Amino acid sequence: MFDVIMLALVVVCFVLAAAYASLCDHLLALPAGKDVSP
Amino acid sequence: MTVTDWLEIALFAAIVGLLTRPLGGYLARVYAGQRTLLQPLIGLVETALYRLAGIKPETEQSWYGYAISLLVFHAVGIIALYGLLRLQSVLPLNPQDLTGVAPDLALNTAVSFVTNTSWQSYGGETTLSYASQMAGITVQSFLSAASGMAVAIALIRGFARRRSATIGNFWVDLTRGTLYLLLPICVVAALFLLANGVPQTLASSAEVTTLDGGLQVIARGPVATQEAIKLLSGDGGGFFNANSAHPFENPTPLANLAELVLIFALGAALTNCFGRMVGSERQGWILLCVMAILFGLGVGGLYAAESGGNPALATLNVDQITSSQQPGGNMEGKEVRFGIAGSALFADVSTASSDGAVNSMHDSFLPLSGGILLANMMVDEVIVGAPGSGLYGMLLFCIVAVFLAGLMIGRTPEYVGKKIGSSEVKMTILALICIPAATLGLTAIACVVEPGLAGLGNAGPHGYSEILYAYTSAAATNGSAFAGLSTNSPFYNLTLALAMFIGRFLVIVPVLAVAGSLAAQRVIPRTTGSLPTDRALFLGFLLGVIVIVGGLTYLPALALGPIIENLQMLGGMH
Repeated sequence: MFDVIMLALVVVCFVLAAAYASLCDHLLALPAGKDVSP
Repeated sequence: MTVTDWLEIALFAAIVGLLTRPLGGYLARVYAGQRTLLQPLIGLVETALYRLAGIKPETEQSWYGYAISLLVFHAVGIIALYGLLRLQSVLPLNPQDLTGVAPDLALNTAVSFVTNTSWQSYGGETTLSYASQMAGITVQSFLSAASGMAVAIALIRGFARRRSATIGNFWVDLTRGTLYLLLPICVVAALFLLANGVPQTLASSAEVTTLDGGLQVIARGPVATQEAIKLLSGDGGGFFNANSAHPFENPTPLANLAELVLIFALGAALTNCFGRMVGSERQGWILLCVMAILFGLGVGGLYAAESGGNPALATLNVDQITSSQQPGGNMEGKEVRFGIAGSALFADVSTASSDGAVNSMHDSFLPLSGGILLANMMVDEVIVGAPGSGLYGMLLFCIVAVFLAGLMIGRTPEYVGKKIGSSEVKMTILALICIPAATLGLTAIACVVEPGLAGLGNAGPHGYSEILYAYTSAAATNGSAFAGLSTNSPFYNLTLALAMFIGRFLVIVPVLAVAGSLAAQRVIPRTTGSLPTDRALFLGFLLGVIVIVGGLTYLPALALGPIIENLQMLGGMH
């Protein structure tokens, strides 16, 4: 049971890291100087 | 203080300085895919590995593809190492019949070695089988170092390339770094350590009868091979619990000097590699000078403080003067065979380089010395650092420096021919903010919750320093321990693993994003409006940025620990 929890933690962390990479990609794609506030 | 001690420190610095240029040239050739002397020997293995893994070495990746490859590779690495540690009791090469590692400790250890941290909440000789040490710890030491260097090289390519959509191929960089750099150097280093008395055997622990008839168990194992990569990789995870203070890991002063050189060699050489790849070696020397100044301040401060002895003991008329009868100074927690200089130098190299190996107990250093060790780690591994991470950390500070200089004096923010725009600055700040956020946030939590306080060996500011040191070490992927804090508990194992994960991967991703963004740019010709970044002025400015950013971020945290403890110690004298 503990093994499943630990491995699930690893998977979740890396999925979040991949999402973080997507966020960085999105930020890089924004035109410089554009106001992105709502 | 003795002249011999200063000469020892100077000799180390000279050896590293002399190795920097030839090794930097070799690094540049390896990562440019050029032919090297080892090509006939290793080229076939390299080609076979690509074929086996279905990799096309000529196909390059965007920064995003590079980052995802790296994340997938290390996710698999953590899961594999976790499985190995849990199952070691049923696997071969376990002559001591050790049981499987507990789940939380296995996770901590797996994350620790995959992130190039080597934080150890366990004693190696009593917890890990030879299979875990060799196929788990040692393998990940190689791969995490190769991965860090790959990221640094990708960032250098970002600066060096013009209008490129790609920054290299992660699998090729990983393979070449491992095969052409780490493996050959480690073979030579392991043989040298063997000759100095480091054991290398698969036999079980030796049982000997002592002079008074008692039974003593002497742990041993495949130490030399692990020791070599432990130092070269900037990993620092020892085979034994005492790490490089153990005579089987670091038997002689000569071995000590060689270990120190191994720790710094690749990190220093990467600055030269950077200079060569961007077309100006001078740029690399500037970075190395900044590292050398910060290192010199640290080791000078440490040696001066520790050789001066403990002021509290001096008031009790305890003799702490160097003589033929004693090494003098503050010898608590230090090995007599290394003395003050060998211990202070190792401690500074270890914390500056992100290696984390220790040959003395950092908990026993004087309070301000402990503060220096913490400060070394708090500047984000830029004082040489681990292979790769030191250079990319320093380049992030270069980006901040030219950006600030641009704001202050109205010059165009650019560095080695690339414009530093809002995209690069955003990514840089993301990378730089991760480590302090993890360090300070998790320290604050550990200081107020019961599981965090339960591990403390000391009360007051020293206990706080122990907690701060643990999270600083983990988030900076250093791995050295202050000692005095019992961290083998679910709370510390999981939170330290989180700190290591953040300190490694949440920094690498924006670093690669910066690389991708820079690679896509054209090169801007240098004009009279460009800030010269290969001059002493920039060197001073960069130093200032590193010190001020580190100071502003961490000074309050240091004030609560080492600084208060020092004042208490001095106050206790009167």
